[in-house]
Amino acid sequence: MWMIFKKEILELLRDRKTLFFMVALPIVVFPVLFGGVIYFTSQAMEEAQTKSLSYAIVGQEYAPELVEKFQEVDNLALQTLDVDASDEEALKAQIKAGSLDFIIAIPDNFSPLIEKSGQIVFKIYLNDAELNSVQQRLNDVIDEFETQFQRDAFSRLGMDESQQVTLLDPMVLEKVNVADKRESVGATIGGMIPYILFILCLQGAMLPAADIGAGEKERGTLETLLLSPISRTDIVLGKFLTIATAGVVSALVTVLSMAVWGVILAQGMAIEFVSSFIASIGTIDVMLVFLMLVPIVSMFAAILLSLSIYARSYKEAQGYMTPLVFAVIVPVLIAAVPGIELKGIWAWVPLTNVALAIKELIKGTMDYVQLFAIFCSSVLIAGALIAFCVYWFNKEKVLFR
Amino acid sequence: MISISGLAKKFKVENPKKLSEQDKKDPRLQGKFFHSVKGVHLRCEKGQVLGLLGPNGAGKTTTLRLLSTALQPDAGSIQIGDTDVIKEPVQARKKIGFLSGSTGLYGRLTGRENIAYFGRLNGMKEADINQKIEELGNKLDMHSFLDRRSETYSTGMKQKTSIARAVVHSPDVVILDEPTTGLDIMAAKTVIDFIRDLKAQSVPVIFSTHHLEEVTELCDSVTVIDHGETTFDGSLDEFKALSNDGLHASFMASLKQGVA
Repeated sequence: MWMIFKKEILELLRDRKTLFFMVALPIVVFPVLFGGVIYFTSQAMEEAQTKSLSYAIVGQEYAPELVEKFQEVDNLALQTLDVDASDEEALKAQIKAGSLDFIIAIPDNFSPLIEKSGQIVFKIYLNDAELNSVQQRLNDVIDEFETQFQRDAFSRLGMDESQQVTLLDPMVLEKVNVADKRESVGATIGGMIPYILFILCLQGAMLPAADIGAGEKERGTLETLLLSPISRTDIVLGKFLTIATAGVVSALVTVLSMAVWGVILAQGMAIEFVSSFIASIGTIDVMLVFLMLVPIVSMFAAILLSLSIYARSYKEAQGYMTPLVFAVIVPVLIAAVPGIELKGIWAWVPLTNVALAIKELIKGTMDYVQLFAIFCSSVLIAGALIAFCVYWFNKEKVLFR
Repeated sequence: MISISGLAKKFKVENPKKLSEQDKKDPRLQGKFFHSVKGVHLRCEKGQVLGLLGPNGAGKTTTLRLLSTALQPDAGSIQIGDTDVIKEPVQARKKIGFLSGSTGLYGRLTGRENIAYFGRLNGMKEADINQKIEELGNKLDMHSFLDRRSETYSTGMKQKTSIARAVVHSPDVVILDEPTTGLDIMAAKTVIDFIRDLKAQSVPVIFSTHHLEEVTELCDSVTVIDHGETTFDGSLDEFKALSNDGLHASFMASLKQGVA
């Protein structure tokens, strides 16, 4: 078995395609892609917020002090516009023609005495398809006036600060969270962690599985291997171990790469988050999370090898394996749904129960007796799948299709 | 010594509708089963080369797969020396060297690693493997490419490496399934020389082929299989005499053309 395993690993390490998907992709390509997207998005956002815009105000005579405040906003250049405020079509035409970036129309009821004027509605004419954050830039000025007008109005109505707060927000739903930080974070992201880990393990195992099963059949080396004086059980176990190792290594490389690049991309900000998050979980629970992955990866490896050995060619094997991704996503996504807990029937659904157990481990609320039961049941299923794989590998109609 | 008697093997036909018209008319198709081999017998003594002849689909490859333990027979017996191949397949595999024209190599391993891997699988010690590779490297003139990845090899280099891999464990018998099919003249010559060399060492060889000239050049005895049955089993001289008398004229013609 170990001879088969060592040879398969050696071949795997010399396969540029597998190495690219297992190592280069998570370590270099993904971070470069994500980093690139984040960089260009932030550049575009910054440019949009600082871009110099030309604008006009109609109805300036109703609020000269507000106009003064608008003029103080950076990167906004006020232009004169000789158009009647009531002529909406003419205002829209100015924007469409591109002569102005936006126009603010101040209504004639603008007044500090809001209890008499009624609601003051400003209109902004702009082309909203362009990313230029007009509304965001104007909000600061409007908010300042709005707060002041509200305060003055309440004061005139003889209300103290407490009454003002009550009137503005008469009912508040205040949450008293008894969960500690770990439980809160765990509940939020705990469901996604098994999803990511499961998919990474599966994806990492797929390529080598297709290669060392169907690929070997296609290249004509399988028959020679079958004629060597080594039991078929040993051949299956050697190949199974290779696939499982590839799955775990691929997941670990990706997770570590994400953590390291997260730190680099966030310029050190993530160090505290990552270290405090891991520290709050505890080493034993982190190890238990990875221990729970062992039967899961074993299940994946056994199924993938069975599919691969059945296929006549590498391509056919990939065709069989692709639907497996969906078969894994559904039970794991169930575990991520809020309200689904490790109780009742969910404790007995394979994959879902392990995903829920990982979620509970991250939250720090796992019942270890139940964890042991789930681990044992998963090991039993994995063992049954490996046994099936050995049985499958001994079938002539599978090997010589 | 290799001895086969009453060998039978049937396969379940998964989808009879997909069979060709020719296969549907084959008398070996009985219900859901295709009796690929039924009652094959042959005998190859020490130091003999036996040629296994028959048109495509006759059952040659199935016979050789049964002999090499890749498949389990439904009936019959196979004996290699004092080993019952059916009862002790793992033991039998240690005595067999197998090679076919379509045998592949592990492309990402060097020729040396390919040969050594099969030496290890056959339970050889590292020192013995290294010594055997040196010996085979000299005999087959392989040293110039042994340490290159086999994916870069020419057809001839691949076939030499396959030969070395098949005999690294010094097997008692060698089985070759159409070893020259698809090879160029030089690569085919390597295989022919290899069989000649085995014969000189008194290693019994069974090989299937479509080429009558290979049979007349190398073989001591001939077995002809047609429709899964042994239709001739005798010495090369007996075979030649029968062929000259026009035995199965159309069948012999198909052998010469290499088609069924």
